[in-house]
Formats: sequence, structure tokens, C-alpha cells
Amino acid sequence: MEIKGSVVLVTGGGNGIGEAVAKYFAKQGASIAIVDMEQKNINRVVADLKAMGAEAIGVRANVTSEAETARFVQATLAAFGKLNITVACAGIIRDGTMLTLDKETGKVSRKMGLDKWAPVIDVNLTGTFLTLRDAAEAMVNGGWPGLLVTISSVNKCGQVGQLNYSATKVADALMPKIIIGEFMLRGIRNIRCVGIAPGYTATPLLTGMNQDALQAILKDVHLGRLVEPEEIARTIGHCAENEAINATTIEVTGGLCYAGGIAK
Amino acid sequence: MSTFKYNDTEFAVTAAGQGWDITRTLPDGSAALVGTGLFAGMGPAEAQIRALALVKAIYPVGIKVVGPDVAHPNMIGDLRIVGPDVTHPNFIYWDKDSASCPAQL
Repeated sequence: MEIKGSVVLVTGGGNGIGEAVAKYFAKQGASIAIVDMEQKNINRVVADLKAMGAEAIGVRANVTSEAETARFVQATLAAFGKLNITVACAGIIRDGTMLTLDKETGKVSRKMGLDKWAPVIDVNLTGTFLTLRDAAEAMVNGGWPGLLVTISSVNKCGQVGQLNYSATKVADALMPKIIIGEFMLRGIRNIRCVGIAPGYTATPLLTGMNQDALQAILKDVHLGRLVEPEEIARTIGHCAENEAINATTIEVTGGLCYAGGIAK
Repeated sequence: MSTFKYNDTEFAVTAAGQGWDITRTLPDGSAALVGTGLFAGMGPAEAQIRALALVKAIYPVGIKVVGPDVAHPNMIGDLRIVGPDVTHPNFIYWDKDSASCPAQL
């Protein structure tokens, strides 16, 4: 698929990986629709895209709502008349262990509540599903060649303290295989689906964290630094251009290893 | 440049290169970009029609954007100000139907 002239929809496009994806595709000549929850971020990124000479719109919407995913797909079509690439970057974390024990008694003193569990499932899993579903609906009905992209994580293999997050990211990693299997059965041959599983990436979430903790994380990365959001964006761009990449999830981690030296 | 008012918000459609920019006026009088470089090659009248359609899609009737960029803060003390629940069965939604979001009139 040629990126120039295509229309790209990016949820979570107001910062981090989503912003980098939006700007990467804009540089390649695509038209961009960004979706985010923070209007200030939307305004900033759309202004940046204007400065780059790109065609762009910004939509404030919540990916967990069926009405809103339908709305931002509709807005994309109203602006650009088609949709080719959809990258579901919107995601959140609410880290914590399932159980917390009292140090003195050894008994359970706290449990992870639905207040931490449900929002992560809603945004990272349901939001990805709704975004890809409505984007695919538009692509199929419009007859446009398409690429659906889920954003998984290297922690799809499981990370203590991220029961909620890892559960969603393993599901996001699996989606491309199931979606393409369904497309195969339905005779939909012009829409592909891939997942990207970033490692520790230099988003504001990580670069703003305690620097000692950050250095401890980097000790396990073979590359010796955080992955740049632009490196994730370039990988997605490669997936768009290389039609042989399909129904799979690609890790972009810089070589994240367990403490013993085995790659995760 | 042409302007139109929709859902109590003023929007402006301004020529920008070969396309058109759409801005909305915020309550403090400043402007925020809704879209840029759109509808390349279209004349002013057609661009305004397309801009209105786009604005209706981005800001459906019944929803006003609330957040830190406008006069209404998201939080007042511990009180969170949120928009209406657009999935509620009694919410009157826009008139464009789709399989995944049927119109409710």
C-alpha cells in the first residue's frame, strides 16, 4: 500500500506513540485524523501537522463508546472521503498487584478493585475492538484497501503488577490472527491487520518517571536505551508498505531481556 | 474567510494554500484548529458546505466540548464535569445511521 495519498486514523494521537505515528504518516504524504481525549493535545498536534503542510483533523472522543467510535470514523470520511490505515494507539495503565498482603500478618490487606481493572479493559481491549470494527466497516463498505493496526506490548508475555494491562495486550496481539482469519472466510482480501508490540518506549509516561527506576529498566534492554516513538511509527509505516506482513504481531523492543539474559 | 454558527459555537473556514482550514472560537475568544488543508481545490461555497458536514460529525448536537481548554474545567474540587452519556437510550443522537450506531430520534 502506498502511504502517500492514503488516509490514516490514529486513536490516542494526542501524544506518545500515537502522535509519532500521526506525524510519521503526515511526512509521507498521508491525510491524518487524530483522536484523543485531551482537547489541548489535539489542538497542539493538529497545529503541528498544519505546520508540516499536512491535511488533518482532530476529534475529541472516547474509544470505549460505540457511538463515539462511529462518530470519529464518520468524521474521517466527512473530511477525506475514505479510510485506509487505522492505528489503535489509545491505551492506559492502572498498575497494581491482584492482592496486597499485610507485612505483619501475611493476610490480604487489599485487592485490586474494578476501578483499576475495568478502565484498562475498556480502553485497551474494548476500545481497540470498537475502533478496528468501525474502521473495518468503513473500509469494507467503501471498497478501499486497508490496514488495521493494534498496539500490543512486550508485556503481553505477562508482567507482575500489570495483570489488567498484560491481559489486554495479549488479546491485542492475538487480534490480527483472528481478524484476518475472519476476513479470509468472508472473502475480504484487501484489508490487512497487524499488531505492534513495543518495548519500553520514550513516551512522557516513561521519560517522566523516577530516573533511578528508569535506569533499572534500561539494564534489561540490549539496546541500552528506550525505544523512540518514531521507531515504532517507522515500523508501522513499513507494515503499510510491505503487504506480506499480515496477521501477525511484531515486537519492537530493542532486545528486552529477563534478568538472566534471555530475551523476553 | 466565511463563518458559521453551529451548536452555539462559531466556526471559521479560511483558505490555506490549496485547501481550507476550519477553526472554532473558544469561549475565551481564542481559536483552535478543527482541521487543516481540507477540501483541496474546492470553491468557498462548496468548502463551507463540506465544513459544516464535518463539524456536525465531530461535534454532534447535544454535546459541548468540556475540558481544560474551555471555560469549564474538568474538575471542580472532587466534582468531575463530564459530557452527556451519548449511549443512553434517551439521548437524541445525530441523524446519520449506521449498522453499529442506529439513530435514536
